[in-house]
Amino acid sequence: MSGRSRQALLAEGLARQGALEPAVEACVEAIRLDDADARSRALLGELMLAVDAYDEAIAAATHAIELDPDLAVAYLVLGLAYERRGGTWDQAVLVWHELAEVAPTLTTAHVQLGEAFSSAGFEAEAIDAWRHALELDPTEPRAMYDLAVAALKREGVPTALPGFRKAGDLDPSQDDFFFELAGVYDDGQPAPDPAEVPPDRDARLHAAAALAFEEDYFGAADLLRLALDENPEDAEVLALAAFLYLKQEATNEAMALALRSLAISPRTRTAVYVLGVAFSRRPGMNGHAARVFSALAAAEPDRPMSHVLLAESLLGEGRYTESAAAYRRAVQMDPSCVRARFGLAAVLLAEDRHAESAWEVRQAAYYDTRRQDLFWRLWDMTGEAADADS
Amino acid sequence: MAESAVGDGVTQLYEAFVARDPARAIAVVEASRSAGLSHEALLDKLYAPALSLLGGAWASGRLDEYAFTQAAVTAEQVSTFVIPSAAALDTGVTVLVGAIEGDEHSIAKTVAGAALKQAGNRVIDLGEDVRPSTFFERAEESGAWIILVSAETEEAADRVSRVREHFDAAGREVIIFVTGGPFEADDQRARTVGANGVSRGAESAMRLVAGAAARLGDKR
Repeated sequence: MSGRSRQALLAEGLARQGALEPAVEACVEAIRLDDADARSRALLGELMLAVDAYDEAIAAATHAIELDPDLAVAYLVLGLAYERRGGTWDQAVLVWHELAEVAPTLTTAHVQLGEAFSSAGFEAEAIDAWRHALELDPTEPRAMYDLAVAALKREGVPTALPGFRKAGDLDPSQDDFFFELAGVYDDGQPAPDPAEVPPDRDARLHAAAALAFEEDYFGAADLLRLALDENPEDAEVLALAAFLYLKQEATNEAMALALRSLAISPRTRTAVYVLGVAFSRRPGMNGHAARVFSALAAAEPDRPMSHVLLAESLLGEGRYTESAAAYRRAVQMDPSCVRARFGLAAVLLAEDRHAESAWEVRQAAYYDTRRQDLFWRLWDMTGEAADADS
Repeated sequence: MAESAVGDGVTQLYEAFVARDPARAIAVVEASRSAGLSHEALLDKLYAPALSLLGGAWASGRLDEYAFTQAAVTAEQVSTFVIPSAAALDTGVTVLVGAIEGDEHSIAKTVAGAALKQAGNRVIDLGEDVRPSTFFERAEESGAWIILVSAETEEAADRVSRVREHFDAAGREVIIFVTGGPFEADDQRARTVGANGVSRGAESAMRLVAGAAARLGDKR
């Protein structure tokens, strides 16, 4: 163990459980017992950030860094506190730069550094930072969203839209949405072995969906083929087959199967989804995509992603006011929807509402770091390193 | 176009896809167009149903994986004949956009300019820090009679009046729209500098330009 006090360990345990007040008390006590406990100070900063006490978070994180200049979590807290308080972009740039130094493989550090540069008006440096983030992790959607917003500033919405869609493809929330529509949820169990799936339609469909969820598209396709051999007019099976093609960039095949599915049963929501996504990938078909996603949003009004997809198509159509309304519905339902936040930021930029746009990007950053549980990931990483050192 | 003729066209297009014959597929599309099917309807009434038949053929096993993929490639080749153009039809309206001298802010005019271009207007982006006389000179060269001037500082905003002065001095009719914080905060400032309207974002710019083009078109 790294020799931390019982109070410090208690504070950590309480904070992990979300018991903020007792965690703060335990933190304060831990610091009283050991004034040089940098990790407890960083944790206190994180707790202060959680209750929007930015100045206190900055003070605690700054003190933690003075005690331990390599403490990555302290930089994370400090950077987020500066950004959320606003107006101190130069300091935020320095903090994210430091975090990128102490945790060079941490993609988020480079994404945040880019956002801080952008807020300070250094767009070229911002783009470099986001590109570096994508070099570290080519599937990082936030860096791609940021680059799309940067493209919007330089060349307008039509140039930026493909970037938003590319980011959407990287964003796992879009596939999650399809699987929600298909009634497939991650139950922690591995997908069944195709050879052991009972020879009936429901079992095959569910197993194929589970395999698709695990990105075993060939295994899924084999099961769907068996189901279609028995009933080629099964709209649900066709829609899942269409999704498999879509995931393999075979847009025309996906469109053909989604259209066939909808010709058999026009209410097949998974097919509606595939058709909308296929349309949205083609220049000139934003109007068609908007029509399809409008139907999906009407059928699935409580799912944020249905509104996000509609909003993106409307953005492509130049219908900014309607697009903003659809994004806002998504944000209202799920404030942590990073894709909706960035989309809304884009529309607000197009409407000359720059401050509101920047606010949405900051909110996206806040929720994205929460979603990633970044504080605790870094905390555990630095804890392991400290243990190894000791 | 009669429903039965549309139905025949769908079957013929599907058969052309399966035969991997793009020339035949294009001929079917053009025949349907000639028979009165509008460009907007080609996708919904001809191409999509033919694709659906293709999906059905794969589902029933009449087409194997390879034949399905090859047919889909042919469908892809034909798609440009049925998919609407990404850019709107040319409105014939030329719009000059630029940030006034002393103003280096580019986002508002760039975003508005791109949206106007997407809407089919001929947009000439003069960039940032544009001298008032340049607006006049480029309008003379291009025949533009709609101008969007952006200014994000009060000092720059006041300078827009000089753009109007250049046109008035030459007796040249022009519609000047302005955009930027100082104008959005105070409509009176826009009137003072001789602007005809204030654009509040890209959608607003599209509305203003479309309205102006319609009014001037009527007048002319």
